Amino acid sequence: MAATRKNLRKAVVAACSLVGLNGAAAEATEIGSAVLFYTEPDRVSAVEAVVAGTHAFSSGHSANFKLVFDALTGASANGATPASFTQTFTRPSGAGSYQTGPAGTPLDDTFRDTRTAISGGGTLALNRMTSWQGGAYVSTEHDYTSLGFNTSLVRDFHQRNTTVALRAAFFSDTISPEGGRPDPLASMAPVGAAQPRLQGDGNKDVMDLGLGVTRVLGRATVAHLNYTFSKVQGYQTDPYKLVSQVDPVTGDPDDYLFELRPTDRARHVLFGRVNHHLARDVVSMSYRFLTDDWGIQSHTVDLTYRWNLSGDKYLRPHLRWYRQGAADFYRRFLVTGEALPEAVSADYRLGDMTAWTVGLKHGRKVGGGHDLTVRLEYYLQTGDSQPEEAFGVLRDFDLFPDVSALIFQVGYSLDL
Amino acid sequence: MTEDLTRQGRDWAFRFRAMAGPCEVLLDLEDRSQAQWLGELACNETLRIEKKFSRYNSEGMVWQINNSVGRAVAVDEETAGLLNLASEFHDLSGGRFDITSGILRRIWTFDGSDRVPSRNQAKALLGQVGWTKVKWDPPAIILPEGMEIDLGGLGKEYAVDRVAAVLAEITPASFLVNFGGDLRAVGARRDGRPWTVGIEMPDRPDSPDRQLQLKQGALATSGDANRFLLKNGVRYPHILNPRTGWPVLKAPRAVTVLADTCTEAGFLATMAMLSGGEAEEFLAHQGGKYWVIR
Repeated sequence: MAATRKNLRKAVVAACSLVGLNGAAAEATEIGSAVLFYTEPDRVSAVEAVVAGTHAFSSGHSANFKLVFDALTGASANGATPASFTQTFTRPSGAGSYQTGPAGTPLDDTFRDTRTAISGGGTLALNRMTSWQGGAYVSTEHDYTSLGFNTSLVRDFHQRNTTVALRAAFFSDTISPEGGRPDPLASMAPVGAAQPRLQGDGNKDVMDLGLGVTRVLGRATVAHLNYTFSKVQGYQTDPYKLVSQVDPVTGDPDDYLFELRPTDRARHVLFGRVNHHLARDVVSMSYRFLTDDWGIQSHTVDLTYRWNLSGDKYLRPHLRWYRQGAADFYRRFLVTGEALPEAVSADYRLGDMTAWTVGLKHGRKVGGGHDLTVRLEYYLQTGDSQPEEAFGVLRDFDLFPDVSALIFQVGYSLDL
Repeated sequence: MTEDLTRQGRDWAFRFRAMAGPCEVLLDLEDRSQAQWLGELACNETLRIEKKFSRYNSEGMVWQINNSVGRAVAVDEETAGLLNLASEFHDLSGGRFDITSGILRRIWTFDGSDRVPSRNQAKALLGQVGWTKVKWDPPAIILPEGMEIDLGGLGKEYAVDRVAAVLAEITPASFLVNFGGDLRAVGARRDGRPWTVGIEMPDRPDSPDRQLQLKQGALATSGDANRFLLKNGVRYPHILNPRTGWPVLKAPRAVTVLADTCTEAGFLATMAMLSGGEAEEFLAHQGGKYWVIR
């Protein structure tokens, strides 16, 4: 029967309120929290705590907030290649240095930061079929501030079998790195020497425009398709990343240059997801395609299977595959004597890579109808350890070491 | 009718009987006389609604409509509101929620016996059932002769919400209105703790009732495990489909729904019962919390 699948709540609330049956706004505040531990052995570890809440008013309006705190410590690859000798790098602040032994992947161990992010918003039910949503976001780290606004208009069609959402978001980010922004493509100055710097902070603006359609396909299937266009303008260079300039014969570094990325980036993302309800369980499949004018193309395939053990317990295995093609300006290293490119980065996150995530999540209802979830995931990222252009000593080194990470999360009434 | 005010922890409990069952208002306040006054207000409002919408009270609106022998009756604003709500619920339910279906009780008495009427008996009555046969042109209603309306499917939940509205207007104190399991909590308690309400699990008499921590909001239950007929091994629950005149055979024994208002919760619980074997599916599509007892 058709009425079985329709959500009647909004209509019922509207009908009741016409008879004056709303009284004091019914306060069904749901507050949840989650703690996540992320660790890359020998590299970064992070702890993230989230508290989020939604307050639903009987009018159909709602308000929400989210508070995120995370702390990162450890080391991350600075972009330089391994060498046959011990390499010394000046810390980003210009004060002090760190060293990497022969054949080692240079890791900047000054990676230490805490981030606090606050976001809040509300949804206004304009009528039975249309709602408007608005929100604001602010986050701060010691060298980074991000401020954002977003809004969307959501409308249901065809007895709520189809939902169309129009979204727009704007972000403005400011980066003020320790010691200031190094001159792009300038050589890294040794400790004590003056490092050429750009004036002032780095600013970046992001604008997102999106269109999404969710459609109920038959009794047990819901499909969602989403397209987002993003335009990013401003300082997108990572002030902490280097590119090695290597000797054309030996392959050992002669110099280290600070990276430089283009100031403009236009990105298109297409995302599709199908949720299918089996007799007891739910299968969810999604595919995401990203392409941008930096030359990056990526594909993500995500599969989850929610295995309902009983009405209030489930296990959810998760498998994700990610494949990324490198940015046009990605270079593992530069060779001394070649003309400097207009833009260059050796950041592995812009390189060719494949990543797998496997995980398992368990959720159950605990006292008072709250949900407790526990999630454990393993992430493995691989790339080309021996790119064709490697020569000299570089052929003896792992130029794209695997990155693995373990993710553990506990959530209480907050499903992330 | 007896009224009764007792101290219960830090709350005052005011109990009375109305709407064919026990009614209770728990008030989170210190002052005894204020609790007494608020309790009496709650009781008076409940009795007012019961009288006005009872099928048996010849002074009430429902009695007047049911005895109008096909003539137009002009109704007051409150009755018009309830009829509008019933009409809207009828549409939302695809005709399964119908305040004219009470007449089917003439052939169905769910007393645990095996007295199941014949299909022909049910068919014969269906001519007198159906909200679409009623001419409802607010504030005038024309009920065809031989038909009856019964607001019993709405009345108790409506009373809970009305009492909550009346009390909320005059007291800042937090309170819980509980009419035999159809209940509503309003306002934050002084100690910040939510109201604890039990959800009965009649199918598992050994297990403790489920406890729900309710800060604000409403619960309503549809279904009564003790009202049924049993014939040739088939259990006929007391939930009737007004389009067939026959019980919804695969209806759960009881459904409890959490919602903002008791009326909303009650309607969704009734809809779930009417969905029979698809009750869980219906509720899953509504979002929010619910409990189904099979």
